[in-house]
Amino acid sequence: MQREVGTLPLAPALRARLAAAGFQTAQELLDTGPCGLSKEIGISREEALEALQVVRQECHGDAARPAGGSGATRKYTALELLEEEQSQGFIITFCSALDNILGGGVQLSKITEICGAPGVGKTQLCMQLAVDVQIPECFGGVAGEAVFIDTEGSFMVDRVVDIAAACVQHCHLIAEAQQEEDHREALETFSLENILSHIYYFRCRDYTELLAQVYLLPEFLSEHSKVRLVVIDGIAFPFRHDFEDLSLRTRLLNGLAQQLIIIANDHKSAVVLTNQMTTRFGQSQSTLVPALGESWGHAATVRLIFHWDNSQRLATLYKSPSQKESTIAYHITSHGFRDVQPPAVTHSPEGPELNPRKRPRAEEEQQ
Amino acid sequence: MDWDQFDLNPRTIAALKKADIKSVKEILNLSGADLQRLMKLSSADIQCLLKTVSHTLRRNCMLTALQLYQDKDHFTSQHQKLSLGCSVLDNLLKGGIPLVGITELAGESSAGKTQISLQLCLCVQYPYKYGGLESGAVYICTEDVFPSKRLQQLIDQQHKLRADVPAEIIQKIRFGNNIFVEQAADLDTFQQCITRRLSLLLARGMVQLVVIDSLAALFRCEFGPAQAALKARYLQSFGAQLHSLSTRYRTPIVCINQVWHQIASFSMGTVWVVGSRVTPALGITWSNQLLMRLMVSRMSLPGHSPGAASHSAGSMRTLSVVFAPHLPPSFCYYTVQLEGVKGVK
Repeated sequence: MQREVGTLPLAPALRARLAAAGFQTAQELLDTGPCGLSKEIGISREEALEALQVVRQECHGDAARPAGGSGATRKYTALELLEEEQSQGFIITFCSALDNILGGGVQLSKITEICGAPGVGKTQLCMQLAVDVQIPECFGGVAGEAVFIDTEGSFMVDRVVDIAAACVQHCHLIAEAQQEEDHREALETFSLENILSHIYYFRCRDYTELLAQVYLLPEFLSEHSKVRLVVIDGIAFPFRHDFEDLSLRTRLLNGLAQQLIIIANDHKSAVVLTNQMTTRFGQSQSTLVPALGESWGHAATVRLIFHWDNSQRLATLYKSPSQKESTIAYHITSHGFRDVQPPAVTHSPEGPELNPRKRPRAEEEQQ
Repeated sequence: MDWDQFDLNPRTIAALKKADIKSVKEILNLSGADLQRLMKLSSADIQCLLKTVSHTLRRNCMLTALQLYQDKDHFTSQHQKLSLGCSVLDNLLKGGIPLVGITELAGESSAGKTQISLQLCLCVQYPYKYGGLESGAVYICTEDVFPSKRLQQLIDQQHKLRADVPAEIIQKIRFGNNIFVEQAADLDTFQQCITRRLSLLLARGMVQLVVIDSLAALFRCEFGPAQAALKARYLQSFGAQLHSLSTRYRTPIVCINQVWHQIASFSMGTVWVVGSRVTPALGITWSNQLLMRLMVSRMSLPGHSPGAASHSAGSMRTLSVVFAPHLPPSFCYYTVQLEGVKGVK
């Protein structure tokens, strides 16, 4: 009832008039009544009636909605936030090194961005996460479902089948080793068909379709409340051509980022975006940096950069509010995203380090 | 845009017409506050408008991964691929070239890129049962003349290459009639070609394969290092147009690309090796547009000079997958015979 007039969902012109006339809270509006209102600010009776209806609905909504609903502001203490964060699950990636540097895995309620050159493994990780989010709780997963928004057409379902089959196999092995009742129960519903049926796939062919899809996401997530992961693969592709007006692009991207943050928070889902790399020409050399510009860098909470070092794939945690910057190596096998196996036998010779520019003498002697 | 057909409040429709908003794209391009100001409606009305137009644009767009997996229909299934005409090569690619997306075929000159593309132009004309798409192909040449003599040779020898297909089916296909050759020696002609000729052929269902030989040639002379941004814009624009055509008409686009040699030193364990690495031309801007990258290279066997004729049975070539969302990095050997390209187990 003490809601300020400025926060009510009325047309801006109307709000301006109310402010000019000296109305400050919703209660004052309701007390004045439609006739008084129409006389004071010079609008028709119908408009005044409509405005009051909106105000009444809002106030009822505020009272009826439990504290913590979207739109109403609620105070949290830092301790409550800490407890909430600690009880939140992570989506594991099956690469323990990557999970470690992320602090347990891909975090729910946060936006994680994966940047990298083509072919380095961004889509593979997204497909892996779409499967891993469904792992039952008794195996350490979050038992959720996944939304996959594909803008590039790189979602190949055969590959997802391989990854899902390997994940099911992995869980079967754990269940056999541990022989617990709830494991066996969970495995009855954790099958290949089940996993595939809970990945909701949307194909967006340009940025307009992507914007429309993101507008519809909150409704979709309310209907499918078990969704815990939203993947957009990739966010850069539809925005990197046909934009003469870069300020429009920045505005649209910012709007998109805002909506995704709200979605991540309200529905306790992880949002994972993939981004391309572009060349930035410096003074003397050029470097690869994530695409979409500097302002986009603020959109994601966590940023991972995938890159190559000769033929080894590396992942660098570039931005995180809670973990330190570090780099790990990973592998992509036929089963999906995995750790690098430690070498079985070490070949390096004992003794002082060889000068890397000289071939070892042994080869010459053999010749 | 006929706003009356949308499921909107009459007041909203009137406001849309008054504000002269002509398309859904315009609505989505404006921010919520801009829309409120422009149409003089409350934010609740604007939210309702956004949801309604988004629904109309994205009606029935959801599929589950299970539906994608179980879809066996020729016209929509992901399992449908364009065969290369050889079972060894098809096995490397797990079926063949995917139908939606740009596939790049990069390699040094005379490594076999044109041979493979000509073979694809013939393979696409076979029935679905034999790995084709029952349609023709467009071959866009940007520098060399189209190798029509070699095409004729391949056509004559199809019965030998495709022993799996009954002879009467091969005889019925008029191979030469279904390959459309376009020449585009500069950027503007190429742009015209894509926007006009290509869309027309695709819309009429006459082609289901586009080969571009090669994109790098268009950019070789005209762009110095200072014009990197302009070159990038062209590449992104072409990439987006080709991608959009490929998606709309379910047509694979095969782009032939040249390679640059890089002399680099890199370490292998404790030893430094100075060697030359080949990277495909056009840089990361182009790589970002691709679904799949294949590389061909030619190994000169001892006893054969590197300048040997490209059809000699002796020189072994490799076809490798550099990246693809559904394939591991792998390679296989192949040779170029009179009847075409054949993989070697």
